[in-house]
Amino acid sequence: MDIIESKTWVEWIITIAKFGFCFVPVLYILLLIPMERRGAGFMQDRQGPNRSYIKVPFFGKVRLFGYVQNMCDGTKLFFKEMFAPTGSKKFLYYVAPAIPFAIVFLSPCVIPWFGPMVFEWGGKVIRIAGPIVDSEVGILLLFGFSSLSAYGAVLAGLSSRSKYSYLGSLRTTAMTISYEVCQGLSMMGLLVLAGSFSLTDIVTWQENHVWGIVAQPVAFFCFLIATIAETGRAPFDVAEGEPELVAGYHTEYGAMQFGLFYMGEYSHICISSLLVATLFLGGYSVPFVSTATIQTHMGGSLAILCWVLAFLGLAFLHMIYRYSRKLAASKQSNKMEILQEYKLYKTIAWVVTAAFIAAGVCSWLYYNPEYSMVNGVVVNSLGAALGTAAIHLLVLLAKSVFFCWVWIWVRWTLPRFRYDHVMHLGWKIILNIAILNLVVTAVVAKLVGGN
Amino acid sequence: MARVIRQRPMNWVERLYIFEAIRGLWTTLKHAARGLFRYEELPTISYPEGQPEVRRTYRAKHRLMLRADGTPRCVACGMCAAACPAHCIYIEATASDDPRIEKKVKRFDIDHLTCVFCGLCVEACPVDALRMDTKEIIFEHRTRDEFVATLETLTSWNPKDYPDDAQSQVAPGGTKNAEARKVWGMEVKN
Amino acid sequence: MSNYYNMPKLPTENSPKVEIFVDDKPVMVPGDTNLLEALKAVGIETPHVCYHPYLPVSGNCRQCLVEQEGPRGRMLVIACYTPVAPGMKIYTPASSARVKNARKATQEFMLVNHPLDCPICDKAGECTLQENYMEAGQNESRMRPEYGKNYHGNPAHQFIDAKGQLRGGKHVDLGPRVLLDEERCVQCDRCVRFMRTIAGSEQLQLAGRADHTYITTFPGEKLDHEYDLCVTDVCPVGAMTAKYFRFQKRVWLLSHTPTVSMDDSLGANIWLDHADGHIYRVMPRCNPEVNRSWLSNTSRLAFQNFDKNRLPAMGFHVIQEALAEVKKVGGKVALVAGGSCTIEDLAALRMLKESLGDSAELFGGTFKKVGAPDGIAMSGDPLANRAGFKLLGIPDSNLEDLTKRASEFKVLLTVNADLFGEGGSAVSSLEKIATRIVLSAFNDATANKATLAFGIRHWSEVQGTMVNSLNILQKLSACPVCPDEKLRPAYDVLSELAGCKFESAFDAFKKAGEYASVLAGLSYDTIKSTGKLLEGGNA
Repeated sequence: MDIIESKTWVEWIITIAKFGFCFVPVLYILLLIPMERRGAGFMQDRQGPNRSYIKVPFFGKVRLFGYVQNMCDGTKLFFKEMFAPTGSKKFLYYVAPAIPFAIVFLSPCVIPWFGPMVFEWGGKVIRIAGPIVDSEVGILLLFGFSSLSAYGAVLAGLSSRSKYSYLGSLRTTAMTISYEVCQGLSMMGLLVLAGSFSLTDIVTWQENHVWGIVAQPVAFFCFLIATIAETGRAPFDVAEGEPELVAGYHTEYGAMQFGLFYMGEYSHICISSLLVATLFLGGYSVPFVSTATIQTHMGGSLAILCWVLAFLGLAFLHMIYRYSRKLAASKQSNKMEILQEYKLYKTIAWVVTAAFIAAGVCSWLYYNPEYSMVNGVVVNSLGAALGTAAIHLLVLLAKSVFFCWVWIWVRWTLPRFRYDHVMHLGWKIILNIAILNLVVTAVVAKLVGGN
Repeated sequence: MARVIRQRPMNWVERLYIFEAIRGLWTTLKHAARGLFRYEELPTISYPEGQPEVRRTYRAKHRLMLRADGTPRCVACGMCAAACPAHCIYIEATASDDPRIEKKVKRFDIDHLTCVFCGLCVEACPVDALRMDTKEIIFEHRTRDEFVATLETLTSWNPKDYPDDAQSQVAPGGTKNAEARKVWGMEVKN
Repeated sequence: MSNYYNMPKLPTENSPKVEIFVDDKPVMVPGDTNLLEALKAVGIETPHVCYHPYLPVSGNCRQCLVEQEGPRGRMLVIACYTPVAPGMKIYTPASSARVKNARKATQEFMLVNHPLDCPICDKAGECTLQENYMEAGQNESRMRPEYGKNYHGNPAHQFIDAKGQLRGGKHVDLGPRVLLDEERCVQCDRCVRFMRTIAGSEQLQLAGRADHTYITTFPGEKLDHEYDLCVTDVCPVGAMTAKYFRFQKRVWLLSHTPTVSMDDSLGANIWLDHADGHIYRVMPRCNPEVNRSWLSNTSRLAFQNFDKNRLPAMGFHVIQEALAEVKKVGGKVALVAGGSCTIEDLAALRMLKESLGDSAELFGGTFKKVGAPDGIAMSGDPLANRAGFKLLGIPDSNLEDLTKRASEFKVLLTVNADLFGEGGSAVSSLEKIATRIVLSAFNDATANKATLAFGIRHWSEVQGTMVNSLNILQKLSACPVCPDEKLRPAYDVLSELAGCKFESAFDAFKKAGEYASVLAGLSYDTIKSTGKLLEGGNA
């Protein structure tokens, strides 16, 4: 294994630092909750929660676009009293919410966060893999982890001593089983094409050929639907269908126990979206540009990255200024407060944008690290390798955030399926399509590729 | 009688669901994009700070119109109270000091906690004394008693708030009908 | 100058039935009455303004027109002045468009100069003109708005109103109790006829002719008869208004309780018109045998004091303890029943007397002067239930006896009897009686001198019965205006003192039936609203 063989301290540090990726799903929760709440608001022509604020000396009431509301809600959940219903199985009851949340820290281990880092250090060429654990069967591990989270729901339903919870957990179990089959089978075509269970290999195959979504569009749709169902989100949230089951398996939960389920659900979305991005959207690979090109034109690549970010900052500034102008003309009684608050965002955005532009210019002009080619692989210095990894990481995150948005988007658009429809869809439609897709893919791959 | 509404049967594209779902997703995406990129165009108002535009015809808080001499036009006939479905109007009458006017209002209470703002009282008023065009739609008070609008609060409106209403600027009355006198050829005794 | 000769003859139960043809259909109607009453007897209402069943017919409003088949064809006649004849053929608006049009035209003519005062008119809601309009009128106004209303009555009362219309005759002061609105007047002259024939004092007159007609008193004189408020009742429009009720309440907000006035032994039938716990006015209730449609001002305005100066409610134990103490000491008890005691109260009092045994003695009556009947709605006897006293064997005029023998008694218990207020110096001997218990609604002179004044309900707030001077048993109904719900009726208190509490007024009435055989077997349901004539009556 790479980890054991490596000797250099830099390699050690990077390998250990990679464990920080375990916390990515938890960080995603911080992003997903406001995205879900305000996104839902926008889809329904509402404004979404935006009233809580923090008092800041000069800028007054800073609301952070409603983000303070989520902090308040989280704090409230955290400090609420935990209790168990009479007659519940106390141990299981308290353990159940922890399971899906604990899985969250395991799943990111096999995701390739960036392409293999190859750099020269101390006269040695060092290679560091993208995932924390660069397993040959990474995808299977990931499925194993994510199906573990169903135990949380099952145990919660069993231990709550509530018929609603019980029915909810039964449905979760049935649905998880059904859709995991679909998930696995729909992905098989891609595995056939890539010829590997390793996620790194799959991404590399996509980088070298085409993205999975182009190669396997049917599989992509089946996989997406099955994954949405797997996470138990609308329109497949029959396990917590409010009209029938109050809140499903977490009916009896409150306070941070409920919070753990809630966070578990969001981190599940995060993992699933990372997986979809990795499998079908080329993972960390930058569209239309090969990794070698990036590595050979390091300064320019970083400059483009900075300028893209700067462009986003400018777009944000444009919207803020436009809204400020409209607000100043309106009759809203608290407009001065809001305009004062916006000064903070404008300041920060200007500073950040300027910094990005400057950084882009600097790297464009002054950062042109040397590289060498070893066996057709570009070997950089450490800095250039880290830069490549950063670009890869940002690209992967952008792709997965897009899929997170798809989760939210689908939830607030489509009505809930009836339970038998869910089963019908899973077993009779998606499974069949997935199998057909696998057969066709295998035949075509055999005929074309011949391996 | 229940009415049966026959729905058009779905065609095969619709029954596939996936295309209709994508159509729905497109709709919500448009709305979400508007919220994100054109936040100020959201139809939702940030309520207590931003106020909705209330039209003059909106049935808001009541007011009592005044005569030229400043007395309420109300003749305490009780038609509004009789028309009121919520029984929120209480009127006491008394004889007027003005010899031309027989009956005047002594007490006029509208309990806005009971009022359903149907506007029937305004329709019922034979002298156009009661109107609901104040545009005041927010009722917030500390005690229940303060929700009861009395004669004082109902008549204490500012003519400047009704620039487009001539009757609110100059109270009617005092216009003598010269034509009627001419037709009947009568001297008018006053 | 009595006009009794054309008083309408009203149908009675004994009227002979004759067959007439209404709209070509044969119907049997009372034969000894006028057409209007005959049609009413078979359920056909004819609109009318000037006709009143207890006033002489004048036939000046022409509102009750019907068509009659005569020798010269079908002609319009007024139903109120046409006697019923067997075989006559009558056409009502149901079959005759001519009648319909005639009534409509009459109505329209009447409304030409009638002011649009309905919103501020006290009569609105019970106005004959309004009712007729809804029934027979419903005409579109053909009045050109620029002409407006024109008042041509008393020139002294004309003025120009805010709209520039010629108005006049508003709130003309006729006397201490009645205001006239000449503009609303439709000149039906009911009030004039009432004052002339019923009140017997010609204080009102019609002056002028045609549309210059107006009602007035003689110059310098006032309308101040004892029955002058009846003109506000007979007035079909809001021309005559009572000052005490002017603008007090819209009539549709009033609830009506039928009861009997207990300040006179004729027991005038009245409506107590009340709203939100207050009596706003008293109206005569038509009873052909007793007070017809009339009511004296005394009875009518008495309600103004019903809720004033009342005794508060007390716990029953107070009176019980007082009586128990008396029993311990011993000595004779005088039980005095006063004027407004109902049959139920008297039955309870007699039961109390029986429970106390020989030591108790019953007294009753009043110190007020007994006057003569005025022939309208007063018998002059202030002891309202005198006949009831006699029926139940309670003395009705031995108060002098009580004052003379006052020293014999240790206890005096009065029920609704204001001995000290009425008796004056004659009753000073009663103050020597050691224990003076007073059951009274009011905090009157007797209550002031009592050792224990116990508040009870007033007669307007209790259910009960009384027998009037014509020996007619009449019902009182409880009007929900009691100032304090804890106040109890007299029969309730007395029966509990006697040790056998009546659960309801009807229990007390059944007990009265045991004492007086004519009351036995009767129930409140079998007494009609106009009362029941008891056997041996002199009506």
